[in-house]
Amino acid sequence: MQNQEILHVENLKTYFNTDDGMVKAVDGVSFTLNQGETLGIVGESGCGKSVTNLSVMRLISSPPGKIMGGDVFFHGKSVLSMSEDELRDLRGNKISMIFQDPMTSLNPFLRISTQLVETLCLHQGLSRSEAREKAVQMLRLVGIPTPEKRIDAYPHQFSGGMRQRVMIAMALSCNPEILIADEPTTALDVTIQAQILEIIKDLTVRLKTAVILITHDLGVVSGMCNKICVMYAGRIVERASTDDVFRNSKHPYTRGLIRSVPRLDKTTQERLYSIPGTPPSLINIPECCPFHPRCEHAMDVCRVKYPDETDFGSEHKVFCWLYGDSNRTA
Amino acid sequence: MDAWRRLKKNRMAIFGLTLVTFYSLLSLLAPILPIYSYKHQVLDHQYLPPSLTKTAGELLYERDEKTLMEAARDQGRSGLNEKEEEELSALKQRINHETMIFDGKAVQVHQKRYILGTDSLGRDLLARIIYGGQVSISIGLVGTLTAVLIGLIIGALAGYLGRTFDYIAMRIVDIMYGLPYMLLVIIFMAIFGRNVINLFLCLALVSWLTLSRVVRGQIISLKNSEFVQAARVVGASTGRIVFRHLVPNILGVVAVFTTLQIPSFILMESFLSYLGLGVQAPLASWGSLVKDGVDGMKSYPWMLFFPGLAMTIFLFSMNFLGDGLRDALDPQSKNKL
Amino acid sequence: MTKYIIRRFLGLIPTLFVIITLSFFIIRIAPGGPFSEERALTKQVLQNIEKRYHLDEPLHMQYGRYLLDILRGDLGPSFRYKDYDVNYYIRISLPNSMVLGLLSLLLSVFFGISTGLISATRQNSTLDYLSMSVAVIGISVPLFVVGPVLMYIFAMRLNLLPTSGWIMSGDSWKTLLMPMATLALPYFAYIARLSRASILEVLRSDYVRTARAKGLSESVIMFKHVLKGALLPVVSYLGPAFANIVTGSIVVETIFRVPGLGRHFIQSALNRDYTLIMGTVIVYSVIVLIMNFIVDVLYGFMDPRISYR
Repeated sequence: MQNQEILHVENLKTYFNTDDGMVKAVDGVSFTLNQGETLGIVGESGCGKSVTNLSVMRLISSPPGKIMGGDVFFHGKSVLSMSEDELRDLRGNKISMIFQDPMTSLNPFLRISTQLVETLCLHQGLSRSEAREKAVQMLRLVGIPTPEKRIDAYPHQFSGGMRQRVMIAMALSCNPEILIADEPTTALDVTIQAQILEIIKDLTVRLKTAVILITHDLGVVSGMCNKICVMYAGRIVERASTDDVFRNSKHPYTRGLIRSVPRLDKTTQERLYSIPGTPPSLINIPECCPFHPRCEHAMDVCRVKYPDETDFGSEHKVFCWLYGDSNRTA
Repeated sequence: MDAWRRLKKNRMAIFGLTLVTFYSLLSLLAPILPIYSYKHQVLDHQYLPPSLTKTAGELLYERDEKTLMEAARDQGRSGLNEKEEEELSALKQRINHETMIFDGKAVQVHQKRYILGTDSLGRDLLARIIYGGQVSISIGLVGTLTAVLIGLIIGALAGYLGRTFDYIAMRIVDIMYGLPYMLLVIIFMAIFGRNVINLFLCLALVSWLTLSRVVRGQIISLKNSEFVQAARVVGASTGRIVFRHLVPNILGVVAVFTTLQIPSFILMESFLSYLGLGVQAPLASWGSLVKDGVDGMKSYPWMLFFPGLAMTIFLFSMNFLGDGLRDALDPQSKNKL
Repeated sequence: MTKYIIRRFLGLIPTLFVIITLSFFIIRIAPGGPFSEERALTKQVLQNIEKRYHLDEPLHMQYGRYLLDILRGDLGPSFRYKDYDVNYYIRISLPNSMVLGLLSLLLSVFFGISTGLISATRQNSTLDYLSMSVAVIGISVPLFVVGPVLMYIFAMRLNLLPTSGWIMSGDSWKTLLMPMATLALPYFAYIARLSRASILEVLRSDYVRTARAKGLSESVIMFKHVLKGALLPVVSYLGPAFANIVTGSIVVETIFRVPGLGRHFIQSALNRDYTLIMGTVIVYSVIVLIMNFIVDVLYGFMDPRISYR
């Protein structure tokens, strides 16, 4: 049974024009999201995962950033060509986003009730009191105790975990088709992390929302996602189902990432593994495979050309010259 | 040094810097510039309007001629009579030959060209503006440096030592902040007399407040920052910590404060001079020049406009420069990137 | 919140205390005052003073009396004018200064915020550069240049506005325009720059990004989400602004011959009429302290992080 495709990103390129040069934050990213799926986007800091998703919602601040190429299709319709009105109808309503730092992502000068109610009134045409009702319900769903009272509080009166729950409630209140969660647990304690992820999983299954989960933490991704995209230096290097990524990864970077995770079942004699080298600067990056300086399998062609896509079937795609000659897609 | 690079890109700031440099050079080089003295009075030359081409003598002649002609018209005549003609030619003689002794040199006084006009005592306005600039700018500079010194020391000590010293110092700052300082300055000047030293002192005494708070804030946040802890772990002494680590971080803030405080100082000083409580004659500062200008404003507007203009240009150049410095040192405040 | 208000209120007291004490000592020890031998005061004034100040009593009792007098609102006799006391002068001139000061402040706040807002929403456009350049010039030009220049242009050359007179003495409303414009200019300029910078900073914040991600329109974002936070620095500035306006009004009153407290202050400074000087300072300080207090409380109301602890 093929789930309906709701989001398709095609060769997206977003560049930033800075004092030091052109930063190619996202340089040709493509992926697809189907109804009800959870897609994980994994990568180190600075690899472009947040920028990709901000570009999907067209939230990139225009000086200095600009979407230079490619397109984003929501139910087949181009997001990049949408008018302001259509875009606003999309945001918060059909595609919602939650951010990394709940402390700064909520307006400290407005009550939680105001911030929740305004989305509901705007997108669902509810009256103030109806919207407030619904907002209280949503808060209850995410596990905030005595929501009827707490809804009138200000953000600084909540703890970090609570604030993130509020953000989730706010994002899901209009029942969007897609929830984009940009490192939702990075700023939280480990114990709270698990709770928040539970809530996201629970609610999105219940509401049948598709999720794009952005993180640098492989552990998070393994528990939550059906599919994974691995990003490096602004490009996707491997795309596959979660199982395939953990058991059958093909790209040297993916393999390196998995090897870096400390394991309890190995002896303590081994040193912890880390991929040698550091991620490249994205300023005026030349045409090549960006991983080649750190790759033990680097070949001459890796230095001058970005690898073509190699398809391993069942939606497992890799971009690496190791597989360049065999299994080429047409 | 990318701060310098950022500064260079800001055109308004560079424009400001150029003008400020120009003014400073002018002030410094004033004694050797080929301009007239600021204090030589030629009473004949009172209230001459600015003129690029005509000499003083020509202007005098024209003015007298005009007066005589008007008087003649009032009397019903269309031309000048003999007596008046004689007056005029005597004047012409005087213009062509009269000399006065200035600084031991004989000068053909009526051949002077007053580019910006003269004031009520026949003194060249351009020279007075330049010398006034010297006075104003040096007051601004010295006063600001004094304020910076006081503010830096008190702020740094308060931040670094903390506890009692900090508490007392900040209480004092709070109280002084509540007082309308200009009033205090005026009182001070009224009580202790109106000389330049008092001016420096009391202006500096009220200006150090903001800087001390800012420095204290910086020191406190830096004191607990990781690189100071790291330095301590490695075994650096307090002195070394202060000079090698803390000071460079403070410098930026101090530089911005200084650039923005100088115009403030100059404004305060001119304010006082305008009220008659600042710089006294024959010294001129821009403030006192404006004051003189206002008195004669209706008939001799150049006496107001030129000093006012000169001063305004200097002040906003410094402000542009200060803004540019602030943006260059803290790019996040630039709002452009 | 109440604790905050009380704390702020208590903070006023030491400052007031310092001023009153300073005042007490200055009146007595300043050179040229009536208590020093140099001055040849009229017999009448001398008598007034001796009667008032109980000069035969020990110093601390004199101080106590002085304190009580001030608290009762009695600021003492003038050193210069034998028939009137300080309270009289303050009573006839303070309202004029207050009118001028408050109106100018309102003007500068209203236009300042509007200009800042327009500039911020059209960042880097010609309008933006233009208004910000005007703003820099506005904070650079001294009041005592602007005033006479305005007077020269509008009163002397164009004959549109009167050179002197005052609305509260019965003259036309036109007498208000130039003094208000002169006094308001530097504060308008500063507030314009401040609000522009503050708005731009809030526009880049995470919570505005969230608001956009929710699909809110730009105008809703600006007026509901941005302004509240962005205007806080402007509110903070109002306290010191008012204190500065007090000093600025002194110049403006002199230039435009407004019969306000500032003019009396200058006169008394030149005359060394110390009771009048110090009386004026006390009144000004009290006003400034009250304004600062009001501003602090206002700020507390506007920032929920303070009111809801």
